[in-house]
Amino acid sequence: MLAVAGGQPAADGQFPHRPIRLAAAEAATSPASTTTPAPTKAGSGDAKAAPPAAAQPPGEGTTRRSERLALIKRRGTLLAGIKTDYPPFGTVNESGVPIGFEHDLAEDIARRIGVTLTRVPVSSANRLQKLEEGAIDLVIATQGDTAERRKIATQIEPNYYSSGVTLFVPPDSQLRDWSDVRGQKVCATQGAYFNREMARRYLLDLQMFGNARDAKLAVRDKRCVGYMFDNTALAADVLRPEWAGYKMPLAVSLVTPWSIAIGRGEDKTDFEALVSDAVADWHRTGFLIEREKAWGLQPSKFLQDMRVRWTQKSPDGQFVCRRFADGSITPECRNPIFLSAADASGLRRFGLQIKDLTGIDLTILYDDYDRSAYFSGLLITLLLTVLCIGGSLAVGVLGALAAERKAALLRRATLLVSVCGRMTPPLLQIYLVLVGVGSLLAGLGITLSPLVVVVACLSYYTGSSVMVAMLEAAGVRRRTVPDYRITLRTLREIVPNSSGPVVAALVNVSKATMMGSAVAVPELLSAATSIVSDHGNVGVVMNALLLTFLLLIFVVVRMLGKLERTLVREAAK
Amino acid sequence: MIPFTEIIWDLVTWTPFLAGGFAMNILISLVAMTIGTSLGWIIANMRLATSPRTYRASLYLTEITRNIPTFVFLFYLAFMLPGEFTVPFTASIVGFPSWLKASLALSIAVIGFCSDNLSPAIREWRKGDHGVALLFIPSWTSYALIIVMASSTASVIGVSELVSRCNTVINATGKTQIMLPVYLYACVFFVGFCYPLNILMKHLKSVIGRRLRETAYRGTPSVSSISGG
Repeated sequence: MLAVAGGQPAADGQFPHRPIRLAAAEAATSPASTTTPAPTKAGSGDAKAAPPAAAQPPGEGTTRRSERLALIKRRGTLLAGIKTDYPPFGTVNESGVPIGFEHDLAEDIARRIGVTLTRVPVSSANRLQKLEEGAIDLVIATQGDTAERRKIATQIEPNYYSSGVTLFVPPDSQLRDWSDVRGQKVCATQGAYFNREMARRYLLDLQMFGNARDAKLAVRDKRCVGYMFDNTALAADVLRPEWAGYKMPLAVSLVTPWSIAIGRGEDKTDFEALVSDAVADWHRTGFLIEREKAWGLQPSKFLQDMRVRWTQKSPDGQFVCRRFADGSITPECRNPIFLSAADASGLRRFGLQIKDLTGIDLTILYDDYDRSAYFSGLLITLLLTVLCIGGSLAVGVLGALAAERKAALLRRATLLVSVCGRMTPPLLQIYLVLVGVGSLLAGLGITLSPLVVVVACLSYYTGSSVMVAMLEAAGVRRRTVPDYRITLRTLREIVPNSSGPVVAALVNVSKATMMGSAVAVPELLSAATSIVSDHGNVGVVMNALLLTFLLLIFVVVRMLGKLERTLVREAAK
Repeated sequence: MIPFTEIIWDLVTWTPFLAGGFAMNILISLVAMTIGTSLGWIIANMRLATSPRTYRASLYLTEITRNIPTFVFLFYLAFMLPGEFTVPFTASIVGFPSWLKASLALSIAVIGFCSDNLSPAIREWRKGDHGVALLFIPSWTSYALIIVMASSTASVIGVSELVSRCNTVINATGKTQIMLPVYLYACVFFVGFCYPLNILMKHLKSVIGRRLRETAYRGTPSVSSISGG
């Protein structure tokens, strides 16, 4: 009985139409046999989840009464379309009983309605078709919330889960961020819709395979650094003994939120309100996070963010994110991809209008998160610039003072150190100190700050050039004043002869501060690449970045030029 | 703790791989110098033109190339240029390798350098003062060495050059202890290549200088319009 209603994974997709109706009819007459009592299975978060719709009662007269909900109550069971071939979201256990993350959610909804649950196995191909036919009341089957699907069904907001693209890597992989994968060989399966977009956003070198199996074997044989695929599909793989130790360390990209779907005509009804309130409640009580953990899924950032957002309260004690009497949800809490210019206000509205008209996505202007990320990146870049200019000058002056001392050993040592400084690429120096020396210090429990290391290495590299310029100017000075020697007091005498190359070196170091992005210093370039990876607006962000830097360098050149003239004038006095 | 000999042995084993990476650094730099010098030569000639409009244009172009940070430009080109393109009027598709994008990005700095240093050299040459013009050669070579060091930044867009291959070696061996030695080894490549050439260029310069029986101080090539990174 139960096997008919929801237990046959093989039937998914070709499940004949009539038997479901039959099963449903039987379920309606003998509910107890079709389903396990919900409250015992739904988990700990459930206890707190109680009065569901009470927090936000649907406003009188604004939400319609749903015929469907009435039917469900009369029938005594909820016909939920759930997957049985997508572990751990919907699968069957050894004895053929359908179980999974989404089964738990469906059970909770049935419990809230006060009926039993009948599981109808569905596939990605037929889930919305069955809903349209009325064979099922609700779909909760790994369904992404897209604009097309909104036309054929009522998609419930808030979204309850999300999927995206990640990388399946071997146990010994050191990859931590998508920027580590730039230019690397990445295995992918042909025909996946995200391949092209991912390659564009992260500069990947994709190696195509006909199926997932071959791609994963290629990862095992180290023919590529990892297999790029949907994270929820890979979730089952990392749980298999065959792939023990394999992991998905990178942040999920191209995130698509998942939604529960109900019939197209159920829009703005008490059925929609009930399901929507249930999902909001799951976010607030932590039920979803708890179930995710129980099913061995990696903690998703989506659920954590949603929890924070939906539990946030305004000063008057009300939830910031909530459903209003007319059924609408606070715009800021909605899935941003479905916000149109009409829903937004102010700068955001303006930005969305530009996007609608021209396709140019100026997220760095209208998106609060992007704008603040870009701005704080700019601040860190400015800080790096000031520190590197100061550091390079300090290293240069100290080096010049040391090299001009009478002690031959000190002089030789200083010159040698400066040669090494000028002849090794600063990026290599940064890795050498942060990773190489850092690995030794890690044993002592000391962690180096990437920002400090970047400033130190760039100052060393540039400072060495500053020092050489000063020593050469000192050589020139000695032609007129034979016993000239650089000391703090006589420093000003070489200013006119050294200022040109010194200023050039300082301008260069301010151009090089972006190297910090290679070691995850959150400066402007890092901010830009992370905005690109979130929105894919490559052209806009890259042009803005180049323009910002040109402006920044222009200002630095002007300021250093002014400083140079002042110093030369002072020195001449 | 892994014994010292094992680390040395690891480094020896990986030397051909690392040397191949360094060859990539040289290739990137040579291509960047070639493109940059050709375009820089054009701008340098524009600077000597009698037409004030051409002269002004050359100054603007030089100013722009001086101010573009090559590191950001590298990212810009990596993201904005396609990975492959169709050759005009044919059906053949040609790959646009990342290393070539790196060369293009670095060539911007070379253009600025050549514009600044070639135009006085050309002027001297036209005056018949060939010796002074020849001073451009050691400056150019010293600048090429700076570009060799800057070519290591190509690693951030995934070009398999020396620095990027160091990271590959670290991942492949899976040994924490090899991190410091392998980076130090990479430093040896750079210092070992650049230092002798730098000495040679200084020597060449003083030889030319002596030939000219120059009395006035001329100085080494000014610290150029690139960071070396």
